Amino acid sequence: MFTELNSILNTSPDSFTQGEFILVSDRQSDASFLIHHFLSFYLRARCKVCFLGLAQSFCHYGAVSQRLGVSLTQAKEKGQLVFFEGLKECLSVLLPKENNAESGAMNFLRDPPVGLRSLYEFVRSSVIGSGSMEEGAEQWGPNVLLVDDLSVLLSLGVDVGAVLDFSHYCRALVCSQIQGNMVMLVRCNEEEDDDDGDEGSEVLLKGLIHQCNLNLHVQGLPTGYCKDIHGQMEVCWKRRQGDAPHMQKNLFQYKVHDKGASFFARGTSSAVL
Amino acid sequence: TIFIIHTLVVRHYVEHCRLADEATIQGEAASQLAREQQPSPGVVAPYRPDSCSYSGRDLLKSFITAALNREEVIHVLCFDVSEEELKDGLKPSDTQRLHIHNAYSDPLGWTGHPNFTAQQFSLEDLTNLVKQTSHPKPAVLVIDSLSWILRHKTPPAVCQTLQQLRKGGAVRAVIGLLHTDMHQRGTVGSVCHLATSLISVAPGVKGKEAVARVTKRSKSGKVMQDEEIFCIAEDFTVTILSKASHAEHKTNSTEEEQADPTANLTFNLRLSDSELEAKQKLTLPFVFSKEKKTALLHPGPGSGRILYEPDANDDYDQEDPDDDLDV
Repeated sequence: MFTELNSILNTSPDSFTQGEFILVSDRQSDASFLIHHFLSFYLRARCKVCFLGLAQSFCHYGAVSQRLGVSLTQAKEKGQLVFFEGLKECLSVLLPKENNAESGAMNFLRDPPVGLRSLYEFVRSSVIGSGSMEEGAEQWGPNVLLVDDLSVLLSLGVDVGAVLDFSHYCRALVCSQIQGNMVMLVRCNEEEDDDDGDEGSEVLLKGLIHQCNLNLHVQGLPTGYCKDIHGQMEVCWKRRQGDAPHMQKNLFQYKVHDKGASFFARGTSSAVL
Repeated sequence: TIFIIHTLVVRHYVEHCRLADEATIQGEAASQLAREQQPSPGVVAPYRPDSCSYSGRDLLKSFITAALNREEVIHVLCFDVSEEELKDGLKPSDTQRLHIHNAYSDPLGWTGHPNFTAQQFSLEDLTNLVKQTSHPKPAVLVIDSLSWILRHKTPPAVCQTLQQLRKGGAVRAVIGLLHTDMHQRGTVGSVCHLATSLISVAPGVKGKEAVARVTKRSKSGKVMQDEEIFCIAEDFTVTILSKASHAEHKTNSTEEEQADPTANLTFNLRLSDSELEAKQKLTLPFVFSKEKKTALLHPGPGSGRILYEPDANDDYDQEDPDDDLDV
């Protein structure tokens, strides 16, 4: 959990807005450090977290979370965290074994036109299925869905429209129906100027920006590489009420270090001042 | 008629709005639409394809508010946002004539008991939907958003349905919201072509303002285009601030950008009047001015003179080194 980011977003584990869809996006950069922030943030806030980890293994997230002071294994044992390990599930789809129960969530690998309906069913069962708990189990806070990351689905052959439908349904379920929060990561590469809507990740990004409440867009510095400043992050709030129809944008620069990341206004890096 | 809220104001509203007085749209709209037999279709969409930075939804809500104030029946197909989010800000007293069809929670039928799906966007289903509320006047259909439907139905099918709605009598006007940055240009072009009025919105230069580009096609075939700056208040009344012109915008911005570099310094870089005069009088050392030229051509007394007497050794002819040729 990055304390500076919490003050920028005006949230804390004790009080945060519910029913929000936070979109983390990056362009030719790596914004996955923000996913680790949100994972540790919501676990500290005692929320019930459903994490679709499609890009890395469970050990990776566990190791990083250890540095941020949160134990994923413990959270999983206590039932606070439902972790979907995409890498393992892919293997079980492609190399089915008798004793390996296939959850069916990744069956789009065999049949891409089917779309992400079964993945959505998995999310739905893990989020709503918590109603039937045994006695003595701990009561957790609001549900949170974290996805890392959606662009992996595009490279696995899923159509952009299917991914947008998936995020729409997740938002309808998690944000609107049960008033939980949702954080999704989407990544873009800078391709050549493409006029058609065929450029998958760009269309996906635009579609998700229309759906989200808060967008954290991470990019490299426009002036080039710098050792002390790793990039810039643009924070765009979309008002839900009608007072300001357009987004409010703020720009920060950041530096990622061993146990966190620091954020500062442009030009105020400690290396520069 | 089909309204596509792609822009802020329909042209015929503008004609009668006195911009200096910041007349609101709603009063004018009421009289206009009452007079009109067949209101024009319009399309709403954010104007610039690369900016998701302006949402046309508030404009859509202002149209809904205006229509409710005119005591019309409105049916909303709500795909993009939840019903609560759409109703947020609308006056509760008017919601009797406002029928919101929730297509947000299950637009594709994944839960098994959907309310309204994208596949139901066809003439018969929509006509049945609208006729459910038995009202003598034909209703206004608002679609939020057309982009959702265009992702699941082919553009020709959508255009056909819109055209059939226009010709059929069940709905009086169709107002649609379209996110142009999510579709190919051909798709956007086809849908916008159907519209009688097209409003493209974009964020404005300052604060809460936005720019709207209105294109209206009249029945006679005349196309009128206009550009306005507007802002939407909390109760969704629209105020037109001024007619924008590109040239005006550009000169203003260049004037603002030319900041004075000698301002806000701890030392003085400015020149007083006498210093300015002296500076302008100063001749630069290596500039070949008229005075220098005359000085060189007509050396005055006392300047150095060069006396030259030709020497025999100096008279070296390259072609006759020994000086013995009889040339």
